[in-house]
Amino acid sequence: MAAVVDEVLAEVRDRIRRKREAGVYGPEVDAALRLPLPGGRPLFVEELDDPLPALRDALDERVEYDPRSRKPLVGPFITVARRLVMGLVRWWIAATGERQERVDRLTFRALMDLRDRPNPGFDERLRHLEGEWSRFRRDLVAADLHSVYFQARFGGDEPVIRAQSERFLDLFRGRHRVLDLGSGRGTFLQLMRDHGVGAYGVDLDERMTSAARARGLEVVAGDAVEHLEGLEEGSVDGLYARHLAEHILPGELVTILRLCRRVLAPGAPVVFVTPNPRTLSVGAHTFWLDPGHLRPIPAELFRFYLEVEGFEDVELVTFEPTEGPKLVETGDDAMRANVRLLNEALFGDRDYAVIGRMPYLAGGPSSRGLGGPAPGAPLHPRGT
Amino acid sequence: MVIPKAWRSGGRPTAVHQFHPVLAPGDAMSNHVFALRAHLREWGYESHAYAVEAKPGVEGVLSYRRLFRAARPTDMLVLHFSIGHEVFDQLAKLNARRVLVYHNVTPPEFFTGLNDHAAVHARLGLRQLARLAPKIDLAIGVSEFNAHDLGEAGFTNVTSVPILIDWSQYGTPPDESVLASMSSRRTRILFVGRISPNKRQDELIRMLAYYRACVDPEAQLYLVGPYRDQPQYHARLLALRDALGLQAAVVFTGAVPLPALISYYRRASVFCSLSEHEGFGVPLLEAMHLGVPVVAYDAAAVGETLDGGGITLPTKDLAEAAETCALVAERDDLRKRLIVSGRRRAAEFATEVVARRTKEVLGL
Repeated sequence: MAAVVDEVLAEVRDRIRRKREAGVYGPEVDAALRLPLPGGRPLFVEELDDPLPALRDALDERVEYDPRSRKPLVGPFITVARRLVMGLVRWWIAATGERQERVDRLTFRALMDLRDRPNPGFDERLRHLEGEWSRFRRDLVAADLHSVYFQARFGGDEPVIRAQSERFLDLFRGRHRVLDLGSGRGTFLQLMRDHGVGAYGVDLDERMTSAARARGLEVVAGDAVEHLEGLEEGSVDGLYARHLAEHILPGELVTILRLCRRVLAPGAPVVFVTPNPRTLSVGAHTFWLDPGHLRPIPAELFRFYLEVEGFEDVELVTFEPTEGPKLVETGDDAMRANVRLLNEALFGDRDYAVIGRMPYLAGGPSSRGLGGPAPGAPLHPRGT
Repeated sequence: MVIPKAWRSGGRPTAVHQFHPVLAPGDAMSNHVFALRAHLREWGYESHAYAVEAKPGVEGVLSYRRLFRAARPTDMLVLHFSIGHEVFDQLAKLNARRVLVYHNVTPPEFFTGLNDHAAVHARLGLRQLARLAPKIDLAIGVSEFNAHDLGEAGFTNVTSVPILIDWSQYGTPPDESVLASMSSRRTRILFVGRISPNKRQDELIRMLAYYRACVDPEAQLYLVGPYRDQPQYHARLLALRDALGLQAAVVFTGAVPLPALISYYRRASVFCSLSEHEGFGVPLLEAMHLGVPVVAYDAAAVGETLDGGGITLPTKDLAEAAETCALVAERDDLRKRLIVSGRRRAAEFATEVVARRTKEVLGL
């Protein structure tokens, strides 16, 4: 049964996602689901989840008590007796209540003070930890290296990168707002501009962004995740990210994919280019030439990330054959075939691209068949 | 769990009596008492049900005062505990074999600020439970969840036996007028249980708002159960229903007789529980027994009672709950599967099975 439940819940979440995308499950329904219970304070069990604001409200609450008894016959007598007792002990109750009031208010103030008061020992430890952590992140990727110099030595020729990017041109043709994540020197943006495609870039490295800006390109300096978070839903109609994924943690990559699902318009193409670890000379050697590379991503895994995050028509293409000497294919046929396999394994394509597409929206609130593929031009470059 | 030595050496009990402060027709607790009484008599024991208050419609209930005169040291006294009452303290002093059956006390936090009277009672009940611990020879939780609570309260000789339900009465013909009132074209979401903040009927009403907006604009929610005990919560539920414009979509039936109850189950598309506290959850079993697929938020004893007989929701998410109900209502294969697994689970609570277990645990 547990398997059935998991299956059902997966489908349920998918249905909800589709209904959100189709606008059926919009802000009005959200508001209904969050509508507080009318006629008084929220249920105490709910207030316990966020006690401080509830405590503040509770302090100002009046205690209501109705002394009237509704019992037949004896009711009026009970009411009179209650009123009498209440009158007699009023000042005693008031004094007790006053003391309780004092304790409550002091407790509340103490709680608030404790929350806001600086805690030197704790703050010191926190500062230390934060310092340690940022040093670790810096050392992990040798962030102190000057990336301009690094790019100059290992970054590859701009014409080569441009030629690489050209194979994706058809995907982005006619688009108005393509985002290049990790735009670097702006090679891709320049290509887009030359072909009349509206595009802008985001890069963490301010030296890179200012260099790109000097070329008259639209570039924002900042973190990819933060930038995506700040974008409006459906405001971007294409995404390109060359050599970004290997610089970030797997969780960050998944976060970026999820954010892309939000900010990309229906049908928008996404292209991620990254080193191809299947080629052993890449996986074992050239990948590690960049100290900023965290881990190689096998193409099958990258494809899975895109599929599981809801991109459609996901496809892999490899390119950039390794240059330089290779093993010589000699001997009989079997020998030649083996050498060819070995050459492919050792000196195959150095990069690969994983290409996907945002689903098109289907209209209507029907719970079945939402988000099916809509007719459109073929997305993927063929023969690459 | 061990059968106390004094019981073993003393032989069969001379009588097995039960007590609960209030016995009323149609409530799960009272039904349990009467079903057990019938079995005890069948097994040849003298057995009576005692109460402080017997509501009209129950038969053969004696006043608890008679217990003080009638109880013998070789008698077994089964105290059913679901609410605190001063009489428990007195009865626990009687020289008899003392058994406590714990049906759970709703945590006072659910009533605080809403029904202070109920909150005070619940808190007193929990304190009293802990106070009774040293005086009880054998404590029985009607679920593992309850048995765990008993352990926390300080009871040492603890076991669990499910509620005894007389399933034969569910063969009663359904109420035709109720059947006719429920259109079979719309989705009919059912929840059975007294109107009470721990059962979170407010969440069911909100969920219905989603259901009507995103799944079936004609869907109906039937809240079957008495609301007299929680007038404040009931009034606020009505206000919530009106604020969401669901006046015609949410039906509060109040307490209903068994034939009507059976009709509601018969016509329900799905039984949905978003309750946050159940000591056992008899309606879950009733739904499974009567072939209604169950979708329930996994809280307190709910998961344990369902145990694969329905779909348990691990988190409280109203959109997810609604879509799960929708899947169950729409998809015949899933629905049939749930009905089969529900029936299988309910069969584990067959009257004879539970009666046998009760007999064994009580050392009868």
